[in-house]
Amino acid sequence: MSSTPLPNDRRSRASSRADALPVSTPPLPVSTGPAVVFDSSDFVVGGPPCSPSPLALRASHSPSSKRRKSLRTQAPLDIRLLEYVPKCDSNLVCLICQCPFDIPTMLACDHVFCRECLDHAFRVQDGSKRCPTCRTHVDLKKEPIPVPRILFSMLEDLMVKCPNTKAGCTWLNKRDGVQNHVDLYCGFSTVECPAGDCRFSVLQKDFHKGCLHYTVSCELCYTSIMKKDLEEHQRTTCAQRMIQCPHCEVEMLRLDLKAHIKDVCQFAPTACPGAIVGCGHTCDRRFVPDHAKTCSMATMAPFFHAQKTRLDEQEAAQKLLQRKVDILEGGFANISNIVYPTNASDDSSFPVTNPLDPNAADSLPETPDFRLPPASFPPPAASTNNPPPPPFDSSTHHLLSLHESLRDEVGRIANDLASVEGRTHLLILNENQRAKEEMLHASAAINSLRTQVHWLLSARLQQGRASASGGGGASASAGGSGSASVPAGSSLGSASLGPLRRLSDSNRQDTKL
Amino acid sequence: MQGHLPPGIELIKVDDFQEWLVDLRVLDSNPLYENEVYRLKFTFGKNYPIEAPEVVFAKDATHPIPWHPHIYSNGIICLDLLDNAGWSPVHNVESIAVSLQSMLTGNSKKERPPGDENFVKYNTQRPKDINFLFHDNSV
Repeated sequence: MSSTPLPNDRRSRASSRADALPVSTPPLPVSTGPAVVFDSSDFVVGGPPCSPSPLALRASHSPSSKRRKSLRTQAPLDIRLLEYVPKCDSNLVCLICQCPFDIPTMLACDHVFCRECLDHAFRVQDGSKRCPTCRTHVDLKKEPIPVPRILFSMLEDLMVKCPNTKAGCTWLNKRDGVQNHVDLYCGFSTVECPAGDCRFSVLQKDFHKGCLHYTVSCELCYTSIMKKDLEEHQRTTCAQRMIQCPHCEVEMLRLDLKAHIKDVCQFAPTACPGAIVGCGHTCDRRFVPDHAKTCSMATMAPFFHAQKTRLDEQEAAQKLLQRKVDILEGGFANISNIVYPTNASDDSSFPVTNPLDPNAADSLPETPDFRLPPASFPPPAASTNNPPPPPFDSSTHHLLSLHESLRDEVGRIANDLASVEGRTHLLILNENQRAKEEMLHASAAINSLRTQVHWLLSARLQQGRASASGGGGASASAGGSGSASVPAGSSLGSASLGPLRRLSDSNRQDTKL
Repeated sequence: MQGHLPPGIELIKVDDFQEWLVDLRVLDSNPLYENEVYRLKFTFGKNYPIEAPEVVFAKDATHPIPWHPHIYSNGIICLDLLDNAGWSPVHNVESIAVSLQSMLTGNSKKERPPGDENFVKYNTQRPKDINFLFHDNSV
């Protein structure tokens, strides 16, 4: 009856698992902290193993169950105690613990072990560490070496049963999801009692039932017992748990009696299936089919039943629609509340947009239900009258037309903008062209100026040299014969005249510029 | 499980993880061991398989102690594999049984270890605590 499992129940668990072991070796009684284990022999929850009820499932899948993570009373899951379906490939089994690798760790000799197993094995080796399989020396600085990714993937893909399978959980999935399942979703995980001051634990699926750790008295045998164990007690141990069916005299559990009389017992008085239509006939269950054959109401009952379910469905759908309509109406009311006060307070916004709105000036006054908001009427005084809010369709229509005209205007402005931009662009281009040409002119002028200056300088230099040599010659001839000095002088004059002419030439050019 | 075992080895009692009984037969026609079945008793400590189990031959009416220069007449086996120095956690019941089977198969001397009488008479230690001197590399 102890539903709080012994913390160190591993041996019994392991022994119940012995037949599942591929190798003739007892599994390592791993000493990694207690994992709570349910043994079928003394732990049965809610009778025969069954899938958790939808309610429990919903409760355990609800977001609030995530919040309960910290409340888990179990130690971290020991992955090696899981039951693998089908049995694990022997290549994925650690040679030390004979279970599929927990955290695979590889040595340089390519032998792989669980990390914890290897640590254990190394701990008892004094001095240098050796591989447990091949006794190769292990260099702890370089080893263990990285394990290939594929090994992790294969291990993650192994299918395991939920560790709470014995308690009734039917979960069967990949190994990498099991921790998550046990922590968050498994209805058979134990969590702390929802009552804050209660020290006991409950199964997660019973969490929503509140604290069940109070003593009640079994109404059959008057023994006092905890509420959470009551059903199990009445099912399995209570001395008064058996009862005879008053109709068919079959002995059964008291707990099942009601369901038995309601649905199963052949001798229990049962109403005709046409009761929902109005047939008042009642007889033993075994005679009901005979009666149903003759009873027209029983024949009709299925159709009526179908009609009724359809009606119910439609009603539900209608309710939904009604709610939707309510919400939408509320939304519209809000919008109109937002729109009209702004119109009333800000008159100037409408004259701007109204001329663009074709409906505003002409058609609106003619159609009475297509009224503009008060502010758009020509006499501003009308806005102070506060007429009743116009119908929704007219106001939305108005809003739409406003929107349309605004869109037109924006389009036009965009067009204008584009043309203006084009013109400016052209203007800039022209201006640019002209400036470029002028710059070309200027640079050409500078170039010619530079050549002129160059010529001038060289001419000046040449002239200077020539006058220096001419002076020397003149003094020599003056010292010699005067007649000889004339041709010399004329030749000097003709020689110095060339550059001079060119000088005048360059001077002329200068003035031209 | 039975199907996985090599021939000549049979599990007798595997109820819990404290003590196992395994029957061993030598398969070839060694006259020393022919037609005889030996019973091995495995005692597992809480540190198994990190530490070696205690393995001895158990003697009763139908299961004698095999003749071997490393097996004392009280069933204690002198084998480095079963000592913590030679033990490796990768060994298991099957591999131990196979090792012992091959140890018997390779033997042809019908003798006990030296000092057997004294040892059997005075030994009160558990096999694990005995300091064996492993000298014979031929087995």
